[in-house]
Parts: sequence; C-alpha cells; structure tokens
Amino acid sequence: MTENQNPLSPHLQIYRWHISSLLSIAHRICGVVNLFSLILIFFWLIILSLGESNYELFLLVINSFIGKFILIGFTWSMSFHTLSGIRHLAWDMGYGFEIKTANISGIIVIISSLVLTIAFWLLGRGLI
Amino acid sequence: MNATRKWILHRVSAIILAPLFFWIYFSLISLSTKNYQEAAYFFENSLFTVLTIVLFFIGFFHAKISLNEIFEDYIHNKKTKDVANILALILSIVIPVIILILFTYKL
Repeated sequence: MTENQNPLSPHLQIYRWHISSLLSIAHRICGVVNLFSLILIFFWLIILSLGESNYELFLLVINSFIGKFILIGFTWSMSFHTLSGIRHLAWDMGYGFEIKTANISGIIVIISSLVLTIAFWLLGRGLI
Repeated sequence: MNATRKWILHRVSAIILAPLFFWIYFSLISLSTKNYQEAAYFFENSLFTVLTIVLFFIGFFHAKISLNEIFEDYIHNKKTKDVANILALILSIVIPVIILILFTYKL
C-alpha cells in the first residue's frame, strides 16, 4: 500500500511555530497568569493588614525557593505581557506589520522581557 | 458596552497599567526583603495607597474585558459563557472594592 500523500489539517503538535504565533498565544497566557499575580498581590496586602506574625510567615513563604520561583515567574510574565502589549499598541496604530519587522520586534520583546526581569530582581533586591 | 468603546477602553487601561506595573513590581520585590515594620510603613504612604487602588480598579477592569474576549473564543456553550462572564464581572468589582475598604480603614 502506498503512503497517503494527502495533506492533513495542521495539528498543534506538528504545526510549525513562528515567532508571531508563539508570541500571540504567550501574550494571552501571560495575561491570565498576570491576573493570578494581581490576586497574589491582593492577598499580600490582606496578610500585611493581618499583623506581624502572619506577615512574617508570609515573608518566609515568598522567600523560599518555590516562593521566589513563582515571584520571578510572575515578574517575567508581567514584563513580557507589558512589552508585548506595547508591540500590540504599535500594531493598533498601524506600525510594524511587515513580516521582517514583526519578527524582529518579537525577538526584541522576548529578550527585553528577560533583561527586564533580571533588572527588576537585581535592583529591587538591592543587589546592584 | 459597544465593541469599539470596549476596544478603546481596553487600550487606554493598558497604557495606564504599563507604568503602574513597573512601580508595583519594583515596590513588592524590594518589600520582600523588608520586615513587617518597614512594610507597614510603606503601606501608610499615601502615594502607595492611591497608586495601589488605581492599579486594582484599572487592572481588574482590563482583566475583565480580556476575560470576556477569551471566553468568547473558547467557550461555545452560551449558558456557560454567560456564567463565566458574570463571575469575571463580580471578581473585577469585589477585589478592588475590598482593597479600597482595606486602605480606607487602614489596617
């Protein structure tokens, strides 16, 4: 039996990823993650209002390995969504639609979101 | 709310949120190294109060419009979608209002 040469509809697993499609879905996922980060900030402030012993416990949790991992993840997610959002605003104003420009701006968003996350933690933690 | 207005308000809220994001993350990351007294002192700062309240109201407004879009794309059952949209609306009102009350009555 000869192999079926007909094209199949694109399954997500075999679909060739482009920067544009990757960033598009990542923008959305990070937006949802950011909603959770806002909810975490909400609890942060609630716990702060509950007094010292509760807050000291909360500080232990967020300064643990997992706590830091989550906070750094949230920082990256928020950095990425904000920078990617700026890219979307440029599109809304009609700029940057050429494929080459869109690919370059996508790479800039990815790299600068990582740089921004590192900068936040170095500056915020008083390491530089 | 008609679609055009929703679209514009979504962008306007995004523009307001961008600088607030830089401010709140920088504040919270530095707060994570400080003890309760220093954090509580920060909490009493009126600039921190105003910006946090604005962040929560605009942030949840932005999230609500976005969630409506996401539900529109992925939920195909109309009843489920309506319930999800109502939950998003309630969340976007309740949390900012609690923050407002929290700051109004100061701890």
